[in-house]
Amino acid sequence: MKRLAWTARALLPLALATAPSARADGADELPPPNTVRVGLYDIMYHVNARDLSGPYVPAGVGLDVQDVQTVYLAYVREFFYHLDLELALGVPPLTKTVGRGPATLGSVPYNGAIISSARWFAPSLVANYVFLSPEHALRPYIGVGINYTSFYDRDSTASGDAASGGPTRLSLSSSVGPVGTVGVTYRIDRRWSLYASYSFSEVQTNLIANTAGVIRTTHVSFGPDALIVAAGFSF
Amino acid sequence: MKRICAATVVLAAVATLAACGSDSTTSTVGSATTRGTLVENPPLRIASLDAADFQAQLSASSAGAQLLQLTGPPACGVDFYYLKFWTVGGAGETTESSGALMVPTGSGAGCSGPRPMLLYAHGTQTNKLLNIADITNTSNTEGALIAAMFAAQGYIVVAPNYAGYDISTLGYHPFLNATQQSDEMIDILSAARTALPHTFAATTKDSGQLLVAGYSEGGHVAVATVKALEAAGQPVIAASGGSGPYALEAFGDAIMFGNVDIGSTEFAPLLTTSYQHEFGNIYSSTSDIYSSTYASGIDTLLPSATPIDTLFAQNKLPETALFDSTTPIVTVPNTIPNNVMLSAELTAALAEPAPTSSPEAPIFDLGFGNPYLINNDTRAAYAEDAALDPDGEDTPLTGMAASPALAPSSPSYPLRKAFYLNDMRSWYGSTLPGAPLLMCGGENDPTVFYPVNTGTMAAFWSAVPTVSTLDIDPAGGPSGPYAAIQGAFQTSEAQQLAYLQTAPGGGLSATAAAEQMIEGYHVAVDPFCALAARAFFTQVLAE
Repeated sequence: MKRLAWTARALLPLALATAPSARADGADELPPPNTVRVGLYDIMYHVNARDLSGPYVPAGVGLDVQDVQTVYLAYVREFFYHLDLELALGVPPLTKTVGRGPATLGSVPYNGAIISSARWFAPSLVANYVFLSPEHALRPYIGVGINYTSFYDRDSTASGDAASGGPTRLSLSSSVGPVGTVGVTYRIDRRWSLYASYSFSEVQTNLIANTAGVIRTTHVSFGPDALIVAAGFSF
Repeated sequence: MKRICAATVVLAAVATLAACGSDSTTSTVGSATTRGTLVENPPLRIASLDAADFQAQLSASSAGAQLLQLTGPPACGVDFYYLKFWTVGGAGETTESSGALMVPTGSGAGCSGPRPMLLYAHGTQTNKLLNIADITNTSNTEGALIAAMFAAQGYIVVAPNYAGYDISTLGYHPFLNATQQSDEMIDILSAARTALPHTFAATTKDSGQLLVAGYSEGGHVAVATVKALEAAGQPVIAASGGSGPYALEAFGDAIMFGNVDIGSTEFAPLLTTSYQHEFGNIYSSTSDIYSSTYASGIDTLLPSATPIDTLFAQNKLPETALFDSTTPIVTVPNTIPNNVMLSAELTAALAEPAPTSSPEAPIFDLGFGNPYLINNDTRAAYAEDAALDPDGEDTPLTGMAASPALAPSSPSYPLRKAFYLNDMRSWYGSTLPGAPLLMCGGENDPTVFYPVNTGTMAAFWSAVPTVSTLDIDPAGGPSGPYAAIQGAFQTSEAQQLAYLQTAPGGGLSATAAAEQMIEGYHVAVDPFCALAARAFFTQVLAE
């Protein structure tokens, strides 16, 4: 987990060190170049998972992930009037995995049962092109970037343990994938703004479940998209 | 700069948040390799079936439905746990083995709380991948049998896969090694008792009433285990052996003198490999025992992940020809009195039986051919040893009245000595079975001969009040306390024989149907002996 914290810290100086501002010194009526945003993430995961494979697993046993909402946090640095760099974070949401497949495994309920949970730490670094000149209050933008996803607090629930056959340790590989976004900013005043955006990304992970030394695996593809509404403060 | 640092703090806080918490863990893995140590605690539950689902699963196949008719509907659900534990090999090697812990579940009376524990030993398998805990495998018929017969009726069942099978890396199976197999049974019992409180069905507890049972190879193992447990001062409430090769010396003599049992070409490599590891003197080279056709690799052939029919097809093993159809010439040295006459008698005794010489002769005759498995030198040397140091059951050879005694002195031929040392008649005197023991079998068994094994043990222990026997297929018809089970077996056999001659059953001729019934006889007896064992246990537990 310490490595994840280090990753986040490392991204900031990288962004800042390469940021020679092109703003006119006299443009005091415009927002300052640094902005922090706080808002709400509404995340839909769009899971595509292969069936679990491994010993004592019947055919057709799969999984799905429940959609979540979480707090959106971001730091944005403006480089030019039309280009800024956004480091987007969410308070890592606790996502819940549900069983998909047969109603029961033996006599243990499976389909629809919440079998595990995990927190996602998923920072994205996005370069946004912002349309219109800074004097406009309402400015649309589009962005592309890269997403890193890591999972922690991976817990097999009591239902998951029952379905797996005992206490189960879960491993989920980290993922690096593309992210895209479209959004709009509305400047209230020099320091405060409102934001709304839609973003999408691609996350791939390999799930390994270890139950008493018996290994079951699957590959999961997520195509999470997120609606974000946020307020920003510039400084 | 300060402002930027403030933003860093906010984002770092998120990152720090990401670093909080911990992941769930799985079972504890024991580091000790001492005997009886459970490797993963709690163990994996392979499946959990409530009584209704178990009944539905069994009913889905004709074999399962027939089994249900014998066992009755499940009174309890069953949780199937996969135990991995440490034990010893045939030469005392430390090795990992595996097996089943079947725990009754449910709210029915007798499905939780203190329950009797049955330690069960399965029959011979050539399939190295055998896992008796895996109830999801439809070929695991013996696992389904003991689950339906015992676990679903409220018994906690513990059964090893045996060293050499499943995860075991031993490289061979200590087949009919009484010391190793009883040690392994005791080791899995210890592991199961460690695991039970940590299972999902923690309300089901060991009542301390220990029962022991087994079938075929497992019958021998069961009796050896009772002997070992009683020697260790661990009380056994009751035990049952089904169709076991208890009197190994007499059984070995019978086979080597031409009474070849069905399955002998599978048993022979398992036996010689096992005893080579136990005693180290069965052969210097496998060609000492085996014909040149099969000697190469025979010591590592079984058990195998390759199906036995494939091994036959690949000419790794003959299907039935245990012996050379050419009779060996026995030459007894002239230091032995009457050596010329004895040589002639032994040579005659080793001849392939004429098909009409006895009702069983056509079966025995299948054991001769060319190519063959066991060479003639082995038979001749074995026969000479048997002639000079006969088992009490060797009446055709000695011309003396049958007695249930072992050879008067330890045999000198290594393979025969291995039989002698693993023969259950070594259990006599003050350590006679203290627990009530039922030995069950079918008198027409062509695989493990009932008269030579169960009959001999019954005679050997005739003065022991705790020992009783049950012939599930008496020629005189059902009688006695198990008459209903005897009748059910004989009716089942008659129905199956008739069915095989119908179109759905394959439309076999009467002769072909009878041959198929003989081939399947040993396996067919198993569930009926299990039912008798359950009735026996119920009676003993009620006393």
